[in-house]
Amino acid sequence: MIKGYAGRILEVDLRSQRFAFEPLDEETARLYLGGKGYGARLLYDRTEAGIDPLGPANPLIFATGPLNGSVAPQSNRFAVVCKSPLTGGIGNATSGGSFAYGLKRAGIDVLILVNQSAKPIRLEIDGDSDRVEFIDAGELWGRGTYETQEILGKKKYHAVIGPAGENRVLFAGIVSGERIAGRTGVGAVMGSKRLKAITVAGSRKLEMDDPEKFKEYTREVRKIFEEHPVMGESLKRYGTGNVVNTTNARNILPTRNFKRGRFQDAMKISGEYMEDHELVGIKSSCIHCPVTCGREVEVEGVGRVKGPEYETLALMGSNLEIGNLKKVSEWNYHADDQGMDTISLGATLGFTMELQERGLLDAGLAFGDPSGVTEMILDIGHRRGLGNDLADGVKRMSQKYGGEEFAMHVKGLELSAYDPRGSFAQGVEYATTNRGGCHVQGASMYMESVGPLTINPQNLKLKADLPIVQQNLACAINSMVLCMFTTYGIVPKAVHNMDPNSFKYRAIAAVFENSGPLFRKLMSMKGKPMFWFDKWLTYITGETFSGGHLQEIGARIFNLERMYNLREGFTARDDTLPHRFLHEPTFAHMKSGHPLDQLLPRYYGKRGWDPEGVPTKRTLEKLQIRV
Amino acid sequence: MSVTVELTYDMSKALGVQRFELEDARTVADVVRLARARFGEGEESFEKLTRVAAVAVNGVLINHRKGMKTPLSDGDTVSFLKAAAGG
Repeated sequence: MIKGYAGRILEVDLRSQRFAFEPLDEETARLYLGGKGYGARLLYDRTEAGIDPLGPANPLIFATGPLNGSVAPQSNRFAVVCKSPLTGGIGNATSGGSFAYGLKRAGIDVLILVNQSAKPIRLEIDGDSDRVEFIDAGELWGRGTYETQEILGKKKYHAVIGPAGENRVLFAGIVSGERIAGRTGVGAVMGSKRLKAITVAGSRKLEMDDPEKFKEYTREVRKIFEEHPVMGESLKRYGTGNVVNTTNARNILPTRNFKRGRFQDAMKISGEYMEDHELVGIKSSCIHCPVTCGREVEVEGVGRVKGPEYETLALMGSNLEIGNLKKVSEWNYHADDQGMDTISLGATLGFTMELQERGLLDAGLAFGDPSGVTEMILDIGHRRGLGNDLADGVKRMSQKYGGEEFAMHVKGLELSAYDPRGSFAQGVEYATTNRGGCHVQGASMYMESVGPLTINPQNLKLKADLPIVQQNLACAINSMVLCMFTTYGIVPKAVHNMDPNSFKYRAIAAVFENSGPLFRKLMSMKGKPMFWFDKWLTYITGETFSGGHLQEIGARIFNLERMYNLREGFTARDDTLPHRFLHEPTFAHMKSGHPLDQLLPRYYGKRGWDPEGVPTKRTLEKLQIRV
Repeated sequence: MSVTVELTYDMSKALGVQRFELEDARTVADVVRLARARFGEGEESFEKLTRVAAVAVNGVLINHRKGMKTPLSDGDTVSFLKAAAGG
């Protein structure tokens, strides 16, 4: 077996309560690494088209990668893959916390859960004795994620769902510690299996090809991360909320259901404001992470809990026109405890408020008014009253109540907190990303809107190339499985210290912006390991990785996911943006919205897809994708 | 002619104001000049604070327009922001 892998897949049948350990397929690991890539391959191979995402035929796959179980910074994340009940396409989500580490300690690369239990159960997996216990979870059913983990014991490695997952809220997630695999409704699939929690234990050690080199190099990288202006300063000091004031100044902070990109009270929901007024501690439940972007705040009547991060601050703050950090923190706590994705939740609440404003629905919710929101979050988690409709997300709400022109989703997945009208490459990413409208499947916005070397986000240069490179890299990162924040370190400290108005800075940005295909070519060159992703993989596995290798693996994963979606009936028509983004300008100099129609054909061509968005036979062969 | 000037969080804290109006600023350079005059040359002067900030006019960075010579119109918003953020 290649080093870095435990070499085992554990398959658990929840109906028959049988389980089996199978060998990990080495060839698949070479082609897809692990994490969401390996998971996508398994999902494609093991399921028929058109299965019910909440039925027994949908497997729930937890997958780790070769970096999990190591002490590499930000390296202990797991991926969950299944058919998404929210989008009907590929579903996946990743999370920090401790579960990935636990799985690797138990000697498990991939955990596949099939079929459904007749009653609520939980699993206890012991990787040392190779035992799986099926334990009645009747006592836990109905409890929040905080209490459930408290009961199970804080020192163990858990993945749990809250009431939202139990009640099959279509944007329910799976929680590990205070982190959540939030997107695409993976928690609803776990709930459909009546599986409340998984606990893993084991004492196996990760085998590496060159542990000494790995150790020495990891020390160096840790120092780079600790001294990096974004990872070691902004994120560490202010958490991800450090972005709020930047996106607001750049007119891309979702406000009033994405009607605008600026919010008058943005500062009051920023990471800086949190540090000055609400912060009671730094909290990160991700093992071996030197960044510690997690915040700790006090919620009245609850105590000290995880503070809201950027997406929550935006989607449940500015997007609802709430400039009250205490309220957003309270809602964040309830969403975490119910076990649901705050991006989809915030977008659904924003959509509901606009329905109310336009007289299409009486939900008792209004922009700028916090009253009724807490109750609605709990109603969504329990599918009570109108909460039962909101629990189905924006797309289904718009089909029932109208308002499709301001329904802010792509492929059924509610959008993240970077308005693409001021970030064109991010818009292409939203439109084409296989799981739907999400920012962490590429994060082009970092290179054009918030990061240190931002190209002009509103011209067409590089906007078809950048998303491809970013999406491929993100596919590889999410298959190792690393945190996306590790990519921030690629832009060196020296660039951060440059005056953004200087000639030198502008010249570098101009060269980058005009590099087009050359940029993609450079990124695709195979050679020696250069960045930490490549080196860590090389030292751990003993195989050679470089940026070019990761681009190829990422492209393979991305195209396989695309093939899965096409098999499920998705077409080029689904590669779009909400009407509001395409037709309502938010900048004075713009006549319309995002120019997706000009960029999409270029993107398809560069991807090796035909005009209908289908990967050509040549593309599939070149990437060794078996379909 | 009047423009609104918005400051970074750190600048707001140091200067005690989050946003203010400026009359007769025709370019971004005018904004910097008028604001420097307004906030003085002390330890935490506007000049010192702006050294590390990027500038946007109505959400567009001035280095994608005409830099400090970027012209302003009545009602524009000039925002100072951190040169880089991530989250």
